Amino acid sequence: MKKVYLMLVLLVGLAVLAACSSGDEEANSGSGSEGSSGTDSITAWAWDPAFNIAALEKAKEAYDGDVEVKIIENAQDDIIQKLNTGLSSGTTKGMPNIVLIEDYRAQSFLQAYPDAFHPLTDVINSDDFADYKIATTSFDGEQYGLPFDSGVAGLYVRTDYLEEAGYTPEDLTDITWDEYIEIGKKVKEATGKNMLTLDPNDLGQIRMMIQTNGSWYVDEDGSTPNLEGNESLAKAFETYKKMMDADIGKIVSDWSQFVGAFNSGDVASVPTGNWITPSIKQAEDQSGKWAVVPMPRLDMEGAVNASNLGGSSWYVLNVDGKEEAADFMLQTFGSNADLYQTLVKDIGALGTYSAAAEGDAYAVEDEFFGGQQLLTDLSTWTDEIPGVNYGLHTYAIEDILVTGMQDYLNGTELATVLENVQSQAEAQLK
Amino acid sequence: MPTMKMKQKASRILRNNSLFIKMFLIMVVSIVAVSLLITFSSIRMSSDLFMDTFSISNTKALEQIETRFEDYSFAIVSATNEVQNNGTIKRVLTQENESAIETSKSYHDISRQIERIYPTVESYDTNMIVLGENERLYNMNYSNWPVSWEVLRNHPITKRTVEEPNRLLYQFMPSTSFNDKPMIVATKALMERSTGEIYGVLYFPIREEDWKRLYEGYTSTENEVLLVNQDGKIVSSNKDEMIGDLEPELLKLAQEVETEELDLKEVEFLETNYLLMSQYLPTYDLYLVNLVDKGAVLANLINTKEILLISLGIVLFAVVIVFIISRRMTNSISRLVKQISSMAKHDFNRPIAETGGYEAKKIANAFNSMLSELQEYVDLVVQAQQKQRSAELMALQHQINPHFLYNTLASVKFMVQQGKKEKATDMIHALISLLQNALSNVDQTITVEQEITDLKNYVLINQARYGDGIKVNFFVSPDCLDCQVPKLILQPFIENAFFHAFNEKKEGFVQILISQKRGSLLCEIVDNGDGMELKGDHTKEDMKEKRHLFSGIGIRNVHERIQMIYGGQYGVEISSEKGEGTKVKVELPIQKLDTSVKSNEITSI
Repeated sequence: MKKVYLMLVLLVGLAVLAACSSGDEEANSGSGSEGSSGTDSITAWAWDPAFNIAALEKAKEAYDGDVEVKIIENAQDDIIQKLNTGLSSGTTKGMPNIVLIEDYRAQSFLQAYPDAFHPLTDVINSDDFADYKIATTSFDGEQYGLPFDSGVAGLYVRTDYLEEAGYTPEDLTDITWDEYIEIGKKVKEATGKNMLTLDPNDLGQIRMMIQTNGSWYVDEDGSTPNLEGNESLAKAFETYKKMMDADIGKIVSDWSQFVGAFNSGDVASVPTGNWITPSIKQAEDQSGKWAVVPMPRLDMEGAVNASNLGGSSWYVLNVDGKEEAADFMLQTFGSNADLYQTLVKDIGALGTYSAAAEGDAYAVEDEFFGGQQLLTDLSTWTDEIPGVNYGLHTYAIEDILVTGMQDYLNGTELATVLENVQSQAEAQLK
Repeated sequence: MPTMKMKQKASRILRNNSLFIKMFLIMVVSIVAVSLLITFSSIRMSSDLFMDTFSISNTKALEQIETRFEDYSFAIVSATNEVQNNGTIKRVLTQENESAIETSKSYHDISRQIERIYPTVESYDTNMIVLGENERLYNMNYSNWPVSWEVLRNHPITKRTVEEPNRLLYQFMPSTSFNDKPMIVATKALMERSTGEIYGVLYFPIREEDWKRLYEGYTSTENEVLLVNQDGKIVSSNKDEMIGDLEPELLKLAQEVETEELDLKEVEFLETNYLLMSQYLPTYDLYLVNLVDKGAVLANLINTKEILLISLGIVLFAVVIVFIISRRMTNSISRLVKQISSMAKHDFNRPIAETGGYEAKKIANAFNSMLSELQEYVDLVVQAQQKQRSAELMALQHQINPHFLYNTLASVKFMVQQGKKEKATDMIHALISLLQNALSNVDQTITVEQEITDLKNYVLINQARYGDGIKVNFFVSPDCLDCQVPKLILQPFIENAFFHAFNEKKEGFVQILISQKRGSLLCEIVDNGDGMELKGDHTKEDMKEKRHLFSGIGIRNVHERIQMIYGGQYGVEISSEKGEGTKVKVELPIQKLDTSVKSNEITSI
């Protein structure tokens, strides 16, 4: 009889214990999965829902692998900040598999965190992409980036204003910046409209100018500031001042004013990257009044009528799932010409995958631009863009140049200005 | 019929187990009641306690949230002051009709100034926009509110700001399209103090989702924080779906808590019971409301189900234990009761089993000792009664009827007078022998042989006195001769036959037959006299004629005496018929004594 009692006590005790502990077990079981590698899903970061996020969605649709792709939208500044904090601390936790990086910033990441990126040298064929992209997306002989959108620049012109001043788009084709300024003066005379907008805090104009001559703010090594004695830069500064002196530039201070200026018909031309096309097309009433001609070149030996502004490329991070991510990249942006057709058709995103240019979508005649085969033209110019190494410090140097430019505009000698900015840049970037 | 049986069975089981059922039911009811009371009071106490501590910690949290809002407000105020006091910004915003180079320079200068001030608020992910006349717009973070000069110039929030140029206003901008998100915009008009002229407007737009980071860490689904403006509009909340809703009722509750200076208030809002805490943020002109979903919080923190399960387990456990223990206790008691109630069947001489628990054992033990003492007393009483009876019988036996002696002696005298010397001698001899046996102890038994001798002597005396019209024959089986019988056990029947059986018939015979039959000694006294009518009772009524009796023992006593000595299965049986005679059967056990004992007894007389 005693034994029976003991058994009973034990049984009831066990039952009570089991009831108490059941909650904890569930909690424990959840934590186990954390450590496993995320090979069944990869994440991709980009910033523009209308552009690169949309392109990722299209790529996801075109991809038929087993891996689930999670697309996460972050502000570009956030991506840079998160990458910097994540990679500098050496942790891969919370890092994406695929990230979009602007070309101007790419080198600084590749140099600062050489092991953080997964080389794509053996994955993609770099010859398939526009030449000028390769310099910025590779480092130390390894191809890291998969070139994405083309920043190929064009001169968007209002044909009606030009006509008023007695010009045709052909007159602006393959011209120098000096010729451009002369035309601008005439146009302003005839129409009262400024030729272009200028943002004193954004020297994109200068960047486009110097790249026509294959020059940049830094040397080939990507880090030594190349300002003092940079003839292309000096020429660009002079040209910029000429524009200001000629009073053909409308000064703007932010993006909305920039877009507002051409949408409201305040300017006769927009020299910028091709990504502006959707914004230009926003003003539907201006359909047929626009044309795109090649970028004016610096009036120098060797300068070409092709340049670039902006543009970005995909990078695969060296974290769990990198093979899957690289495979996803290869199958979509790395080799799928049809995807690029979809991208230009649905999003208006122009890639730098050369084979895509032969597709039908590229040959389409754009009524907004008076029946111009805009994409074909842009693709052609893309191949002519001189390749430069954007190096590490594009924006840091530009900050210095912005002030230098003001000094120059307000009367300081150009040589002195460039000497100053060179020494400032060297001091700051050492 | 079977139902009846079943009913009977059931009621019997009920009756047999009534003690157990009563005890068990009471115990179960009390256990359940106690556990229920304890469970519910402990749940209530712990929830009260929890709510108390919760509200204290939430008050602290609310204070911290307030501090963070003050920090944010301070950042905004500092940035505003810097912009207001910045000469460059003022100059650029008020300048007009410049050349492109001048414009470019002023844009550059103002941007530098704004960029210098911007970090004060940048860490909150707040944008900073400076709006001036002539399409001047400086937007520090274009992605956070991509607004054009024209839209902003004519925006309602700009109008309100210009209407109240001296105040820093926090204005709510609901989400207007799919892409943009609700924002809280701090606005301040930039005013030339000397002239009162407004030269620009400063904006600090912050997305609601960024702003709520100030308090989001203190919230959960049960613990909601809402910011309500003076219109009752929910400006910010960790519950996204409520942002932009108009809830004047909530505003009223918050104002009540604030004006009555309550710590917290229990309210019903949106059909849920909440604990409401509220704090007015004067810089924002907003009510910071903290709603704690009482039910959900308690459900999370006090696992009622688990507590109930545990108490259920304990109750079950206790009930099982109580069942077993009370079953054991009552079982032994009902067994006792059962044994005691069937005591009478066993003449109170079977002790009850001493089993079961301590108490039951003690009771059984006491009962048994009582029983054995009782038995002793009963034995004593029985013995005393027997002694009394045998003393009585002895007394009777010793009363040799003086008439008998007188008559016999008178007869002897006549015989002597008639010269019948021999006959007189025989008679005297018989009398002596008879007296000798009769006067010895009545308890003692004698052999059949001696009894027969006594009877013969008695017959001799009687025949000598009354003539030998009545013949007496003895038929004794030889194996019965040494059987022991009580003394003078057959004499009363002979006497009866002599004096009563032959009143009408003057002659006849009496036959005495002694034999062993079916393991007992059977003595039959048969006469062929008058016979009689029997009155129900098989022992014949005594004739009361004591005069003739030899001793005080009548046939009435014989049956009694036999039963007293040998037990119920022995005794006397009389059958008689008028005119045919009477037959008396005396049944006795066969008892034989050792010769030594017998001689002993004889000598002891």
